[in-house]
Amino acid sequence: MSQAVIPVLLPQGFGSEVSSAERQAAAEQRDAWNAVDQSVETQSFWVGTGKRFLRNKTGVVAAAIVLLLAAASVLAPVLTPYDPLLGEPTDRLQNLGSSGHLLGTDEQGRDMLARVLYGGRLSLAAGFIPTVGAAIIGTVIGVTSGMLRGVVGTVLMRFMDMLYAFPAILLAIAVGSSLGPGLSNTIIAVTIVFIPPVARVAEQATRRVVVQEFIEAAHLSGASRWRIARTQILPNVLNDIIVYASGLVGVAMIIAASLSFLGLGSPPPAPEWGYMLNSLRGSLNTTPLVTIVPGFFIFLTSVAFNMASDALREAMDSRL
Amino acid sequence: MVRLVIRRVGLAIPTLIGVSMIVFILMTVVPGSPEAGLVPEDATPAERQAVRNQLGLDDPLPVRYFHWAVDALQGDLGRSQQRRREVTDLLVQAWGNTFVLALVSAVFGIALGLLLGYIAGTRRGKLLDRVISVVSLAGLSIPSFFLAIILLALFAGGLKWFPSGGASFDDPVTAVRSLVLPVLSGSLITMAITARVTRAGIVDVFGADFVETLRAKGLTEFEVRRHVMRNAISPVLTTSGVQIGALLGGSVLVETIFRWPGMGLLLYNAISSRDLVVVQGATLVIALTFVIINLLVDLLQAGIDPRVRGAVA
Amino acid sequence: MSDTTTAPDLVAPSDQPSGKTGPTLPERPLMELLDVSKEFQVRSDGKPAKLSAVNRVSLRVMEGQTLGIVGESGCGKSTLARVIVGLHPATSGEMLFDNQQIPTRGRRPREVVEQMQMVFQDPSSALNPRATIGESIAFPLQVQKKSKKEIAARVKQVIADVGLPANYADNYPHQLSGGQRQRVNIARALALQPKLVVLDEAVSALDKSIQAQVLNLLTDLQQEYGLTYVFISHDLNVVEYISDEVAVMYLGQVMERASADQLYEKPLHPYTQLLLSSIPSLDPAESTRDTPLEQNEGEIPSPINPPSGCRFRTRCPHAMAICAREVPRLADQGDDHVVACHLYPGSSSEDAEAA
Repeated sequence: MSQAVIPVLLPQGFGSEVSSAERQAAAEQRDAWNAVDQSVETQSFWVGTGKRFLRNKTGVVAAAIVLLLAAASVLAPVLTPYDPLLGEPTDRLQNLGSSGHLLGTDEQGRDMLARVLYGGRLSLAAGFIPTVGAAIIGTVIGVTSGMLRGVVGTVLMRFMDMLYAFPAILLAIAVGSSLGPGLSNTIIAVTIVFIPPVARVAEQATRRVVVQEFIEAAHLSGASRWRIARTQILPNVLNDIIVYASGLVGVAMIIAASLSFLGLGSPPPAPEWGYMLNSLRGSLNTTPLVTIVPGFFIFLTSVAFNMASDALREAMDSRL
Repeated sequence: MVRLVIRRVGLAIPTLIGVSMIVFILMTVVPGSPEAGLVPEDATPAERQAVRNQLGLDDPLPVRYFHWAVDALQGDLGRSQQRRREVTDLLVQAWGNTFVLALVSAVFGIALGLLLGYIAGTRRGKLLDRVISVVSLAGLSIPSFFLAIILLALFAGGLKWFPSGGASFDDPVTAVRSLVLPVLSGSLITMAITARVTRAGIVDVFGADFVETLRAKGLTEFEVRRHVMRNAISPVLTTSGVQIGALLGGSVLVETIFRWPGMGLLLYNAISSRDLVVVQGATLVIALTFVIINLLVDLLQAGIDPRVRGAVA
Repeated sequence: MSDTTTAPDLVAPSDQPSGKTGPTLPERPLMELLDVSKEFQVRSDGKPAKLSAVNRVSLRVMEGQTLGIVGESGCGKSTLARVIVGLHPATSGEMLFDNQQIPTRGRRPREVVEQMQMVFQDPSSALNPRATIGESIAFPLQVQKKSKKEIAARVKQVIADVGLPANYADNYPHQLSGGQRQRVNIARALALQPKLVVLDEAVSALDKSIQAQVLNLLTDLQQEYGLTYVFISHDLNVVEYISDEVAVMYLGQVMERASADQLYEKPLHPYTQLLLSSIPSLDPAESTRDTPLEQNEGEIPSPINPPSGCRFRTRCPHAMAICAREVPRLADQGDDHVVACHLYPGSSSEDAEAA
């Protein structure tokens, strides 16, 4: 190897001796290759997903039901004149379709329809907020652990595994009993229950992405790990997480309803569907139809969410 | 294989410890003073403090955990003031009942789920498949307690075919009759999920190349299907562990509705009456049972499916 | 660059684009590796072990030229590629770039990062599926904090350079063919205007006809921009086509290095001879000869426990006693053709002392 003294500076500019006209000509010559190498029409991923989703009839119906229920509970004051918290004891346990009470009244004379509609707000909140919260926190934990892979990552995931070792409902009940009753405590409990599974999904997805060559290319550009996590890893992981989380909303609602059934939700007289189911239990033999109304709505909302999330999963499942 | 067993068991131990720690922490975070129930209303602060010292309530957290864990390992989970009984006593009685219910529900749900999933998977796209898929989806959306209430109203209240609650094992017939409704309530979700997983597995496997090879080798359709099942079963085992957990956890609700004297009912009553010692003990036992069952399912899966063995050991 | 001998005819070669002259560059090494080694800590059979992926490699590439590195899979060439660009820290050894010493471990100065880029092998996994082509190409520029205008102009330029239509910038990788994606990879590598481009199996994943296109593109770009390439591949024909000099690697060590013509016409090292004799020929007149390959039933040794002395001795038909004792050194056999083999003068210590 020659050790002669050579000026360090290379010729300035980047290939400046070739004229741009010549470069243009060369580029056009290569352009002809594209006639051989065909490519596909441009379409954004989300637009494609949206189209595929709309083609799935059950999904559309389910989504419509969800929207309808959400709208109904938000518009509850408009839809019913009754106060869900006050009732006429003399009016108690009227059956479905009795005058003025489309869905009957409960054991304290409160209008069932009103209670169901206002209760919808609580249920939807208890379904969405924990899911979104767990999705965010779980993603952060999972991606961090998937990227770091060292002691920190292992410790985090071990801790997640500990929580994961509980049956979901049990953990929710345990957290709920220690925090006490109340809607916010229920939301916290369900969020805690959901963080480990989301973190696990995020971590596995991150591990899959991190070994791809474009991550190496990003490192090569000099990007910091934080930047790579944000711009390269996250968009690729989000798919899996959204699909998984969308299936959690229905589950969250059921767990929240279970908690309020056990008396760990909002204190009475809040119109929580699960609580209503429990308090009406006693009148099961006298007015069975009224008794099952809140349960029916839990079921309906849960089915709708599950179907919509199934359809969403299929729609997102393109060859990306 | 033996190494795998040892390794898995070894991994389960920190999990068990972790679970116990979480249960302990959850119960100590509870607001309110545990000594309140032991001290008369007009006690002086000094007397209160004495009781706190006696119970070790002001010791640092790890110390308290340690004492609690050591006691628990020796079978002492504390004493319920409200019921004036040792917690362990209460649990021992209840555990058997819950176990029976959970086991029967699991077996019933999984077996039926396998069958339905198999039918759906092998008739993909046809009417039967669609029906089963829809029923499965509906099935896993019904909260178990809701289903329980409906079944109760219908069959016990209305038709009076089955008792409306309680467990009686006096003779086989009554035992079975008292089991039917609770089992149906609990197992529907298990059945639905198992059916879906089985169906997905079968659809996957049928598409795999080796099925064609088997057919080309001249195996009868029946034998081919047997091979398919054996391959499709692994993911079912995975979910089975989770399902049993769901059943154990869900026992709180089902047992409450049917007044089945198991750990779930115990837990429910303890929550309602804020009997925290019992809540702690019951939660701990249920969680530990779940971990151990998962371990067994894991080992079973490794025993059946060589791929799993290779991946971990 | 050579285009003769047993290379199968590649489609539409154009190794002398119409009368263009690139920048005239002095003859000097742009990048040098001095005794570079890379070891990995692995678990073998449940016990910790050292995997010697790259062992005391010394190479240099002259500015404006192409150094080809060829070898079978597992010979450590991909690891070497990543050590060169800084994706893996070297365990030992030194590196010179532009006649300045640069760190082989830890962060490199920004200028060095910009000057050295890499084109990866797999067109699918080398591009972020969730980013448009334009975004992927712009990313290195954004990281290096170029202005928005600069970025837009550069992206446009570089897309045109690789022969893709400008509107492709809004497409996603899955909408492009394999060849087009690889061109995007090249474009991204060129975005920061590097002097040195390492290409790790850059055409191996493409169909033969597309390989020709991409290779010609690479040579054109090299001419236009005065690029220096380190081209790594297991495909002997491709390496011969594009390289000025070729180095042969085996189990982490350089066995032979010469100009492309010399290597392919007069391979000195037994391993090189082995490789060259196993190229299937498309010429019906030439049948595949009986090769030492068939005579040699030995397994390829593992880099965790490489053979002592010369690592190739377990497969070498000419192995001697000294081969197990001493690691042969690279010795010049004239015309800058270096070999590491005890068959030739200069490789063993006795010869070195005698010299």
